[in-house]
Amino acid sequence: MEWISERRPAEGERTMVISGCNRGIGRAIVEKFIGERYHVIACVREADDVFRGWLSELSQRENVGCAICQLDLSSEESISKAVKDIVSSKVKLDVLINNAGVVTKGLLQMTSIQSIKDTFQVNFFGHVQLTQGLIRMFIRQKGGVILNMCSVGGMDAYPAYVSYGCSKAAMIYFTKTMSQELAPYGVRVNGIAPSMTDTRMREQMGEEANEEILRRTAMKRVAEPSEVANLAYYLASSESSFITGQIVRIDGGM
Amino acid sequence: MANIEKYNQAFIETLEVTEDKLATLKYHDVEAWDSVGHMTLMAALEDAFDIMMETEDIVDFSSYEKGKEILKKYGVDL
Ligand SMILES: NC(=O)c1ccc[n+]([C@@H]2O[C@H](COP(=O)([O-])OP(=O)(O)OC[C@H]3O[C@@H](n4cnc5c(N)ncnc54)[C@H](OP(=O)(O)O)[C@@H]3O)[C@@H](O)[C@H]2O)c1
Repeated sequence: MEWISERRPAEGERTMVISGCNRGIGRAIVEKFIGERYHVIACVREADDVFRGWLSELSQRENVGCAICQLDLSSEESISKAVKDIVSSKVKLDVLINNAGVVTKGLLQMTSIQSIKDTFQVNFFGHVQLTQGLIRMFIRQKGGVILNMCSVGGMDAYPAYVSYGCSKAAMIYFTKTMSQELAPYGVRVNGIAPSMTDTRMREQMGEEANEEILRRTAMKRVAEPSEVANLAYYLASSESSFITGQIVRIDGGM
Repeated sequence: MANIEKYNQAFIETLEVTEDKLATLKYHDVEAWDSVGHMTLMAALEDAFDIMMETEDIVDFSSYEKGKEILKKYGVDL
């Protein structure tokens, strides 16, 4: 883990950790939280110069601390290392956002078990391992918030999304169970279930899926990443202090 | 503070037991050492000795005595 700012979290200030934030929804969440004076530990597979420059500029503008932590959710070793780095940094964590994800398409008959396992590794097992490693910090300090990026795809059925949908359904159950297990330590756990959101993932889903989702959506448009970020901020804040174990849909009316 | 004192202190504070009960203390022997108390105890020990335990060791940590063996793996001599 590498701090890219001189500034570090001080007593009484808030810090969040997020995975998959070099683009898409994760990036919008980082922007929102930094704007609200959160310090950020940004977990990414690869931090290129553009990402570093962007994060460093944001951190200077808002005078918050930012660190980059290498994390590849497809590798158990990488996750273990990230956990060790974050725990040993001794930063007091307030929020963990399990955001990174991959989408895979294919009818069940056309999908190998290996490909289902690969999707689950990133969308589910990786987050489970990271969470298992980091919750010790929340337990120790008796408080914190965990947000899991789920999807309406884990609740509503769409043909050809069996591996993605199942992995998100697993995240939904994980969210609910963790909320029960962690409530005694003052930790809230919620899930966000966006519908189609304007990111690279949307492009990867193809025209047909986009059309089908718009057809099912009352507001006849997709979500902006910033709209999902606003919901994440609300669920992380004390404004939502009695909300736990919920999966909040953000779907424009489906 | 000596390691053994830190170790005992973690039990006394998180499980609300007295020192004379420690030697034979096992998981579930007292009400406070339930699954919630267990995680609080593990967090207290990690904090006290500046270590990070593997999940298997957290699961295996079934008694005061067993805990001593486990902490040895992390370079904590008791
Ligand atoms: N967009 C939607 O319509 C939509 C709808 C519902 C839910 N979601 C969920 O929202 C979350 C964010 O998605 P997005 O729309 O922002 O998609 P995106 O633009 O494709 O971003 C995905 C993020 O996940 C990261 N990632 C992928 N594989 C990874 C791995 N093995 N290890 C670590 N990071 C990895 C990517 O990093 P790299 O740049 O390194 O690949 C990227 O930062 C996902 O969990 C997704 O399932 C999205």
